[in-house]
Amino acid sequence: MPPQSRATTVLIATACLVLAGAALGQSAEERHANPPRESPGEFQFVRLAYSVNRFMNYGGRSQAWQTDYPDAEHHFLKGIDRLTTIDAAEQGHVLVPLDADIFDYPWIYAVEVGHWYLNTQEAARLREYLLRGGFLMVDDFHGSFEWATFKSSMERVFPDRPIVEIPEGDEAFHVLYDLDQRIQIPGRLFIMTGQTWEQDGRVPHWRGIYDDEGRLMVAINWNMDLGDAWEHADWPDYPENMTALAYRFGINYLIYAMTH
Amino acid sequence: MFEFFFKYPRADYARSDLVFTAEWPVAWLVFIAVVAVLGIALMLWRHRARAAPGQLAVVWVLQVTMLVIAGAVLMQPALRTEQLKMDDNAVALVADRSQSMAYGDGVRRIDTAIDNLEAAVSESAELTTLRYAFADAVDRLDDFAALEPDGAATNIAASLVGIIDGARSQSLAAVILASDGIDTSGALSTQQLTEIAALGVPVHTIGVGGDQMPDDIELSQVIVPDKTLPGTTVTARASIRHDREGTARIRVYDGDELLATEAVALPANTTMTTALVDIDLREVGYHHLQFSVDTGGDEPELRNNSRSALVNVQEQQFRALYFEGEPRWEYKFMRRAMDPNGDIRLVSLLRVSPNKYYRQGLETPEQLQDGFPTTRDELFGYDALIIGSIEAASFSEQQLELVHSFVSERGGSLLLLAGPNGLGNGGWGQSGIADLLPAMLPPRASDSFHRYKVPVRLTPQGADMQMLRLAQPGEDNRAAWSDLPAIANYQELGSLKPAASTLLDMQTTTGNQPLLVTQPFGRGHVYILATGGTWRWQMSLPLEDQRHEKFWQQLIRALVANAPPGISLTASGGSTERRLRAEFRDDAYRPVEGIAVSAVVSHEDGESFTVELPPSLDESGVFTANVPLGATGTWYFEAIAERDGEPLYTTRTSAYSESEEAEYFNIRRNSALLRRLSEATGGQYFDAGNLDGIDELLRYSTAGITEQIFRPVWDAPAIFLLLLLVKFGEWLLRRRWRTI
Repeated sequence: MPPQSRATTVLIATACLVLAGAALGQSAEERHANPPRESPGEFQFVRLAYSVNRFMNYGGRSQAWQTDYPDAEHHFLKGIDRLTTIDAAEQGHVLVPLDADIFDYPWIYAVEVGHWYLNTQEAARLREYLLRGGFLMVDDFHGSFEWATFKSSMERVFPDRPIVEIPEGDEAFHVLYDLDQRIQIPGRLFIMTGQTWEQDGRVPHWRGIYDDEGRLMVAINWNMDLGDAWEHADWPDYPENMTALAYRFGINYLIYAMTH
Repeated sequence: MFEFFFKYPRADYARSDLVFTAEWPVAWLVFIAVVAVLGIALMLWRHRARAAPGQLAVVWVLQVTMLVIAGAVLMQPALRTEQLKMDDNAVALVADRSQSMAYGDGVRRIDTAIDNLEAAVSESAELTTLRYAFADAVDRLDDFAALEPDGAATNIAASLVGIIDGARSQSLAAVILASDGIDTSGALSTQQLTEIAALGVPVHTIGVGGDQMPDDIELSQVIVPDKTLPGTTVTARASIRHDREGTARIRVYDGDELLATEAVALPANTTMTTALVDIDLREVGYHHLQFSVDTGGDEPELRNNSRSALVNVQEQQFRALYFEGEPRWEYKFMRRAMDPNGDIRLVSLLRVSPNKYYRQGLETPEQLQDGFPTTRDELFGYDALIIGSIEAASFSEQQLELVHSFVSERGGSLLLLAGPNGLGNGGWGQSGIADLLPAMLPPRASDSFHRYKVPVRLTPQGADMQMLRLAQPGEDNRAAWSDLPAIANYQELGSLKPAASTLLDMQTTTGNQPLLVTQPFGRGHVYILATGGTWRWQMSLPLEDQRHEKFWQQLIRALVANAPPGISLTASGGSTERRLRAEFRDDAYRPVEGIAVSAVVSHEDGESFTVELPPSLDESGVFTANVPLGATGTWYFEAIAERDGEPLYTTRTSAYSESEEAEYFNIRRNSALLRRLSEATGGQYFDAGNLDGIDELLRYSTAGITEQIFRPVWDAPAIFLLLLLVKFGEWLLRRRWRTI
């Protein structure tokens, strides 16, 4: 083969290799492109992953939001599926307050909020979320000290909205179940101590924050632990009637959030 | 040329029959023809040795042809024509004397009309001429000398019927009508044209005036609802007639208050431009809206730049029923979007668990306590019905029939929403109301509901709908739609039915799919919104962004406003006459029988009269009458239904009439109307100044007293030329074949 022809052949072969490589690269890129993800259900349980107040000692751990995770939502979602017509996703979801996706989930759950800390930016995000129509259920915090911590951040969210006791006649207590009994739902400590309260939180309170139209935006379960009741639904020692009641409160809050 | 060869013009042949005038017995003619044909054949047979058979055949054909032509000439052919007996007939010359005939470029239209009418009969002097002038009524004239364009309205149909009917004592051969074609009583209806044509007199029309007026723009039409609710935005459709490119500005006043202003581009490629003007009406009561348009330039007629409309803003409560099969975000956010203190009560029934329904928006504690309505009275009390993510099987057969009747008979609006249990998944495509739906929904077995986020697009059809206007007045509505967040889910609809309109669509991975579709059915309308995920607009947009709320408020308002009330009165039509239509239905929307209906018609100045409304032959429970409105101003109408002399129902409406200004609108020549009139009656349309052939049309008019005339054609040069051609051809051929 003459040198000139050989050079031409080499050039063509190189070009073919480059083109083939590019084509293969493109295919690989296409293969790895994320296809649109189908949402697994109308309702997705979202747990709020907040920061812990640096003055609070949460058993040496900083992840207070993880309490009861993931068994609480796992059991609760089964209950929703069994007892209502809500199309609920089987798995829960975790988001931080500043995650832009939070607006895709109009119901969020925050646990151990007696330890939480929301900075100004997070508080503003949560305020916007709630006023647009989002719903927040907080749970599992006890006593006056934790209340003060919770309230401190909550007041950054709504400086001008009072936290009030939810009236007996509020639809949140009747939308599916008529929840006329105010029984303190204990954490698992009850199994060991027989004590339904923690710290100085002897009296349970069902409190809330309302919007200008009188709609409940934040359901505050103080001095009780619905999360434990959900989590330990399969624990023979945990009182079954408390789990049932916790399911009912949770479902009522959820249906209220989906109707008001 | 034709006339040189055939002796008479082609048109004479067209309007005449060709007949033979010789009175010879037919049998003799046949006998002679047979003998001649056979004789020629025999003669040629004897010369068969001198020519080929083909040559003999050609010669035979040519000789027979010559014989046939000669025979035809001997039969004395002639044209038989029906022609007017000129002395015994009359022609009516009709001049339009309405105010629009005062326009003209140097010469007034009415003067052009008179000149053309006189010219039309100048060559038919033997005909008796009857002269008329008309506007909204007819006058018989001796001459047109003192005619002035002072008629405040034009009614061509009524005038023609009056003229032809009134001239029955004469033998009327034709009517020649000169007009600009502007009819303020409304366009000629097919019924009116049929009535005029049935009189059997051709109407020839002469169009006067220009069909363009480049220096003039005109506010041709303003369409605005005659009733609305307090605090709502009304969209007026203002149509501007223009003959050249430019810009204009529309202003809307309510008394002295400027309510809206809208700049409008007038493109070069059209003569009619329609603009949408949003008007906020807050106060209850009658609003006399004045619309005006101007370009800033000089115009020959300014009075056609403004129009008035009357809008009655009144409190009214609508009711919509929403039946949902599962708690979901769309339900929540739709309810939140509706103003709880507004004029639409959204009553909802939600299946929260397999055995429990949750009710909201109730008027009484008992409402819907037994579930979805089972009687006409209960369901038909709502104006709109929304069905969410719930299976068709959740309804009994009787309830599905009720839903069907709700749309087709009651005229209610039905909206179906997407969902895991809605539309195709819910079996609605195979349900008892499948024929109502604007789409052929997929079968239940195929899961057509998908929880993918997809963007939404406003379609050209949707762009015209007030209910889909999300932008603020003056802002771009398409832009307001294009930057909306994606919806949370969608459902496939299958193929759409022919009458369906797609108002919104969505861009899925498989291409564009309809999102909001609608079609009318019976007295009502059916909509499908193929998503349950518009709630993302609320959650994903800033709190102050009201597009989600606006979408649902306007959509549901459109649903309820489409539904006719059981008792209603409308006054529709043109400037000088209104058609009253009163409808009376009971609570179950069944037509009320055995009632007599009359209407009191009152002008704002106090003039009033009563008209009877006879029952419609086409619709039960409907009563109609045409009411002439003589004066400009607000007219009030009150229809009263009585049984045995006792009043049962009363209903009211109102309208603003511009009857005294009607002549200033549509001032361009309407040749199309004049052409239709001529074509329907067997006449012909002429442009002014070009009346060629009108004297012939009159002479041979089929109306009036006619006589038959016979004109010989045997001596037409074409016949003799043909004879010569045949004989010369035979001679040439025989010479070539050397048989001579």
